[in-house]
Amino acid sequence: MKKKKQESAQKLPENEFLKKEREKEEKNKIKNKPIIFTTYVMVFMFLGLFCYIIYFMVVDADRVIANSGNKRQDAFEEKIVRGNIETSDGVVIAETLVDSEGNETRNYPYKDMFAHVVGYNSYGRTGLELSMNFYMLRSNINIFERVKNELREEKNPGDNVISTINYELQKAAYDALGDNNGAVIVIEPDTGKILAMVSKPAYDPNNIDEVWEEVHSEEGSTSTVLLNRAVQGLYAPGSTFKILTLLEYMRENPDYENYSYECTSSGVFNNVSIHCASDRVHGVVDVAQSLAKSCNTSFVNMGVTLDMEKFNNLCEDFMYNSELPYEGTYSRSSFVLDENSDISEIPQTVIGQGKTQITPLHNALIISAIANGGVVMKPYLVDSIENADGAVVKKYKSKSYKSIMEPSEAEILTEYLTEVCTSGTAADYFANVSYSVAGKTGTAEYDNQGNCNSWFIGFSNVDDPDIAVSIVVEDYTSNRTSGVSVAKKIFDAYYN
Amino acid sequence: MINIICELSKYFVLIFMALYTIKCFSYFTAKDKKSRDKNLNKQIVYIFLIHFFCYMIMFLRLQQMRILIFYAAQIFVAILYILIFHSIYKDASRLITNNISFLLLVGYIMLTRIDFSLAVKQFAFATAGLIVTSFIPAILLKIKNLKNWSVFYGIAGLALLITVFIPGLGISRYGSRNWIQIGSFTMQPMEFVKILFIFFVAAGLVKAVTLKDIIVNAAIALAFMLVLVLERDLGAMVLFYICYVMMVYLATSRIIFFIGGVGLGAGAIVLGYALFKDTLFSHVMVRVNAWLNPFQYQDSGGYQITQSLFAIGTGGFTGSGLTEGMPYLIPVDESDFIFSAICEELGVIFGLALILIFVSSFIAMTNIAMKCKKPFNKYVTFGIAVCYIFQVLLNIGGVTKFIPSTGVTLPLVSYGVSSVLSTLIMFSVVQYTYIIVNKEADKVEKEKARIRAEVAGE
Repeated sequence: MKKKKQESAQKLPENEFLKKEREKEEKNKIKNKPIIFTTYVMVFMFLGLFCYIIYFMVVDADRVIANSGNKRQDAFEEKIVRGNIETSDGVVIAETLVDSEGNETRNYPYKDMFAHVVGYNSYGRTGLELSMNFYMLRSNINIFERVKNELREEKNPGDNVISTINYELQKAAYDALGDNNGAVIVIEPDTGKILAMVSKPAYDPNNIDEVWEEVHSEEGSTSTVLLNRAVQGLYAPGSTFKILTLLEYMRENPDYENYSYECTSSGVFNNVSIHCASDRVHGVVDVAQSLAKSCNTSFVNMGVTLDMEKFNNLCEDFMYNSELPYEGTYSRSSFVLDENSDISEIPQTVIGQGKTQITPLHNALIISAIANGGVVMKPYLVDSIENADGAVVKKYKSKSYKSIMEPSEAEILTEYLTEVCTSGTAADYFANVSYSVAGKTGTAEYDNQGNCNSWFIGFSNVDDPDIAVSIVVEDYTSNRTSGVSVAKKIFDAYYN
Repeated sequence: MINIICELSKYFVLIFMALYTIKCFSYFTAKDKKSRDKNLNKQIVYIFLIHFFCYMIMFLRLQQMRILIFYAAQIFVAILYILIFHSIYKDASRLITNNISFLLLVGYIMLTRIDFSLAVKQFAFATAGLIVTSFIPAILLKIKNLKNWSVFYGIAGLALLITVFIPGLGISRYGSRNWIQIGSFTMQPMEFVKILFIFFVAAGLVKAVTLKDIIVNAAIALAFMLVLVLERDLGAMVLFYICYVMMVYLATSRIIFFIGGVGLGAGAIVLGYALFKDTLFSHVMVRVNAWLNPFQYQDSGGYQITQSLFAIGTGGFTGSGLTEGMPYLIPVDESDFIFSAICEELGVIFGLALILIFVSSFIAMTNIAMKCKKPFNKYVTFGIAVCYIFQVLLNIGGVTKFIPSTGVTLPLVSYGVSSVLSTLIMFSVVQYTYIIVNKEADKVEKEKARIRAEVAGE
């Protein structure tokens, strides 16, 4: 078109009017530059928006819509039969039964054994039923079958969630805890896979309606059966905390190997009187023996010398007062001591009493990191998603979260923790076993009457750690079931 | 059976949508008027096919007679509009009328699904708007000295903007005081003020000869924006600012005004953030935080945006199908967040095509501005084009988490009487410019033909 105009303009003689018009046209062309530029800028921004939306759909959308806040997932239930939840060794722990009339019921064959891991599928959902809801309501069976079902207006079978939970270990942990309240969590240190997670008291998810009603009645208002103690229970860490005190002491005193202290069973530090457990006299101890024998006075002796600002930093590096790399509901652990705290708070705090609180999950991450050369692996509960025919749809990979100590530090701590289980407080339990263990016991007072919870955190096969456990048994004072006895049963189950 | 028909129709809608979008752009590359007209006629066919399939799906799913009646009414109005507007204004841009009809119809489709009564209300007001705004080009063609009324534009604009502060008249919604209520009728003065603002800036820039003129113009423009800040309508403020900067850039042809303007704007945002983040802009901070980390606040400030992302993501590229999604879970899904509802049920592909249609209308408008040789009309048309497309960017970018959400409507698609009317007025002004452009070109052609005849006659 432009060409034509020019041609005709060339051929025709120009009068005053046309000349003026041509000049205007030329002026206009220059004048138009900002418009062209702005148009390009705008189009470019829309190109960005366009690509962003496509990127969102291709890369982020799957993760976003799996969010448990997305109520649209419920609409899928009309077209999909909810998939199963299975253990890594193929045991079905949650399934949907469909009767001849098409009524669906969610069935949990092992009742309360997997209660807190699996969760329930009503009242807003919890556990894997919540976090994996979206995946179980999606069907990845082959397209022909899907179309066939759609034409018949039949529901498609949803995908199955294969958890990282190991049936044998879960059963061992569940049995070992017995009728006591408490929690067990078993982690594979080099991957972060959660192999077992038990919380007691538990409930039978098959009867969630009654459980729900009871918990929300007046008598049941103090019930904590729905609480997953493994991730939400906050406990004083007791002597398991001494690992952190020791590490800080080692960092501040490079000559820690020369440390020596004579334990007379009690002592006064910063005007606070400290006693060793059962008023035992540990005699002269070095750092290794202090940990092995869990000597309170020696640890307070070390602890009162620490730089509280640095110690607070170490605890925060160890994920106190901060988020844990866990996708799901959990409680945050707290450590409140810092350089501004009253010095009379130091003695109790450095041996794991005082205001410090930790979840079994968090303690499991700390002991796993020691087993894994100082690196915390992101703990996770789902290994993969399979379609109804067993083909893998999505595989979850293990991811490292962060390094919280030097490999050399992890090595030394492992050495000391091994002594705990060969000559120290846990030695009696692991005297005649086929595997080696490194760990730390803890007896944490939770009131002023001397009532205690019993802790054990540790890992087996010290040279190349297999599994790490974190166990808390409540009311040790009355039920006499110690954390370490539960740990032994779990290790036994693993190696037999 | 219904399932299969609806499912297939869903794909037909996507196919015709893609074809319509392609025609929006092949229009610009078409060689002559004949092939352009062919393009435009095909577009009309696609509009009606998309509209037909959408209403068929909704009728089959919901089985309500009123949907059929409403469908017939829409078709009637759309055909009349397209036919009558072009028989009156032979020189008007048909691409723009096609896009107006299409965007309105898309809005009706989604609103019918979300809330039937809102859809009817929108249809009634938009139809009235189409009739009234059809007179605008004719009226403007009669008025010769539009560019001399800058004082009027400025005073009228500011006065209208301030009405929201009159007690008993102005009301607050979603944290901004930018609505007025007369009886049961509510409107957003800002929607109309933005047109007056563009006229004001254009008139000021045309007449400005000295630096003082420009500064006075800038000061009054700034007054508009300050009022908007006081209304806590930050989306509108950004819109006005960008329009102003772009128009100054056009008038001066100096890139420094573009760079400086955008830079100054960014600086002002940073400064405003530092000074007023806890006071004047506290509700903005909620939005910014929701934008940075929506899932952390998904039960509070991030609720809207996460629901919007859930809708878009769950719908997927091809959508859940009309009536099959849950757009009602997104707050203000009928207005600011209608794009998410469209993506959820009609598909992200539909949404992406919609974006391209908005962009093509913008390019059509800037093309008209470029052809226009009268500075005032050129500035006005360009200002309108920028205002329109930037509003689309703010809206769609906001609901997709591309940028923080600012609470502006999606032109012609979102429910909102003020928004639809003001957009129709803006398009009419552009049509008016296009008619002038064509008249001028005709004059030149006639003169050439006359000379040609003279030459041939000699």
